[in-house]
Amino acid sequence: MAEPLLEVRGLVKHFPLTRGVILQRQFGAVKAVDGIDLTLTAGQTHGLVGETGCGKSTTARLIMRLLEPTGGEIRFAGRDIAHLGGGALRAMRRELAMIFQDPYSSLNPRRTIGSIVAEPLAIHNLQPDRAARRRRVQELLDSVGLNPEHYNRYPHEFSGGQRQRIGLARALALSPKLLIADEPVSALDVSIQAQILNLLRELQRELGLTLLFISHDLSVVRYMCERVAVMQHGKIVESGAVEELYRSPTHPYTRELLAAVPKIPDDRRTIIA
Amino acid sequence: MSGVINFRDEGIRPQGGVALLRVQDLRVQLPTEDGVVRAVDGISYELHAGRTLGIVGESGSGKTVSALALMGLQPKSARLSGRIDFDGRELLALDSRKLRALRGDELAMIFQDPLSSLHPLHRVGWQLVEAIRAHRDVAKAAARERAAELLDLVGIPDPRARLRAYPHELSGGQRQRVMIAMALANEPKLLIADEPTTALDVTVQAQILALLKRLQRELGMAMVFVTHDLGVVAEIADEVAVMYAGRIVERGSTERVLSAPSHPYTWGLLRSIPRLEGGAAGHGPASGAARDSDRGSVGELEPIAGRPPSLISPPSGCHFHPRCPYALPEHARVDPVLAPIPGEPSHRAACLLESAVRAALWSRLRDGESVEQARAGVELVDIAAPPGGATAGLANEPAGETHG
Repeated sequence: MAEPLLEVRGLVKHFPLTRGVILQRQFGAVKAVDGIDLTLTAGQTHGLVGETGCGKSTTARLIMRLLEPTGGEIRFAGRDIAHLGGGALRAMRRELAMIFQDPYSSLNPRRTIGSIVAEPLAIHNLQPDRAARRRRVQELLDSVGLNPEHYNRYPHEFSGGQRQRIGLARALALSPKLLIADEPVSALDVSIQAQILNLLRELQRELGLTLLFISHDLSVVRYMCERVAVMQHGKIVESGAVEELYRSPTHPYTRELLAAVPKIPDDRRTIIA
Repeated sequence: MSGVINFRDEGIRPQGGVALLRVQDLRVQLPTEDGVVRAVDGISYELHAGRTLGIVGESGSGKTVSALALMGLQPKSARLSGRIDFDGRELLALDSRKLRALRGDELAMIFQDPLSSLHPLHRVGWQLVEAIRAHRDVAKAAARERAAELLDLVGIPDPRARLRAYPHELSGGQRQRVMIAMALANEPKLLIADEPTTALDVTVQAQILALLKRLQRELGMAMVFVTHDLGVVAEIADEVAVMYAGRIVERGSTERVLSAPSHPYTWGLLRSIPRLEGGAAGHGPASGAARDSDRGSVGELEPIAGRPPSLISPPSGCHFHPRCPYALPEHARVDPVLAPIPGEPSHRAACLLESAVRAALWSRLRDGESVEQARAGVELVDIAAPPGGATAGLANEPAGETHG
């Protein structure tokens, strides 16, 4: 068994519900993430599936430390990062990257593609030499299947699939160990979706990335992942190897989810008269 | 648009009585600042009472615009041509008053986003009563009674109490149920559903699809179901029309189109979709390099190269030719016709390759060959190839000229 890159233990995030304007009294909490355990093996793709509001995106944000956990542990490469702050947090963030569902709102429309992809390098003050930085950005654009000469173009000149590629180039700029993809293909048409899925698979293999793939689409998760965890109401109800879990789901919710997916008849087995 | 009739789909077949809906060479052009968008570029189909036609396509294929045109809901600036016959009336010839009387009565529509289709400041009951009284001369109390009945019909628990709810108090699935109740208020003959389950979770989607199927059976209405999801089509539609760049490229029974597809675009779509079980047919080979032993699917997905064209200046000839791995040079000049497949009169495809060639290609793809392998193994023969000039299968217009 390979070393786990990320170990989440008893992770909790409660959003308080308050009443009153000046004296805010808490009268309850939304238990978005309610004590989950998750282990990500280095170099593998792990799926997190669930329906709207199950807490899967909150989990991603907690791991990225975009949100402060209410409780629990997040061990990344052996170190608890659940409550890191300041410089230590910034340094840790070089190792983690994220891509988002909406390729339209996750890119700054006023910046060129070159400067968007170069931004992580600028923030961490890497490759300060302008020519070297430009070369690195062009390499990244090339690796996600974009024309490196489009360096000076703006996001609106690109289609949804191409924008998702730009987001991916930005995420890979710092050569992260862990990439979190939050519904990366949900907004894309099927023919484009397959292009992005294959690109992610290819890059993951080439770079040895560990990938946390969050999706509501069970078929996409099956295509992408080795292991999968099913989330409902802030808890993980079932997890395991993809093929096994899909073949013999044990939790009733997993069964319900799998049964609800509309199926295209498997043409290979159809006998045509 | 001149008066020249150019049936992309000739010989509409008569089938068990008169069709409830018959669309002939429908075109919708939308003028924009950048030019005229040919959103729908000559489509024809017919639909019988009690049947469901699924219209599938990607964004910008014209599927939604073509559905809206049935309701007369196209933008004011849009230019329409062709003919839509609905239950003995020609819809494009009706004035707006007559069309309004038809909408919400015999013709009804449900949309993707129920929240923006319901009035946020009125109670659900009020909105239902209004929908009923717009077309029926009934007292408020009776309409209210009917509204409660409708909510019950669409499976909303405690319907009488729910009449007093505001849309924001309902869940997404319940809102879609209310939308359906409203559309069914006057027992329409035709229900047009535009991606009604796209915004819903998969478990809720399954409930709504089951509801629509039950209601259709009970009320005997016909349904045009627009979606991008081939799985949903497999679940709900009797027949399917695949749209690409404003045209129908393939049409037939759902079973035929999904199990023996005849158009390279349909193949591409099927090969782009990850499957929940088995290895999807027509998925690429499970080559050693591409295969991680633990990963789910058998073969790699083989996406369609490139992306959908602009409808302002669509490619000449076959709109799909720039993305088609089997396109021959001729295909950039000649417009394909949606022609029947030999031996399968109700299954049609608009492709310029010989149908036998297409059958050979698909059978290789289905057996797990890659696009490249299939192309190398089959000699691509054009229906345009025979010597001696024009053939019956081609559009009757000079090559290279685009529609307009």
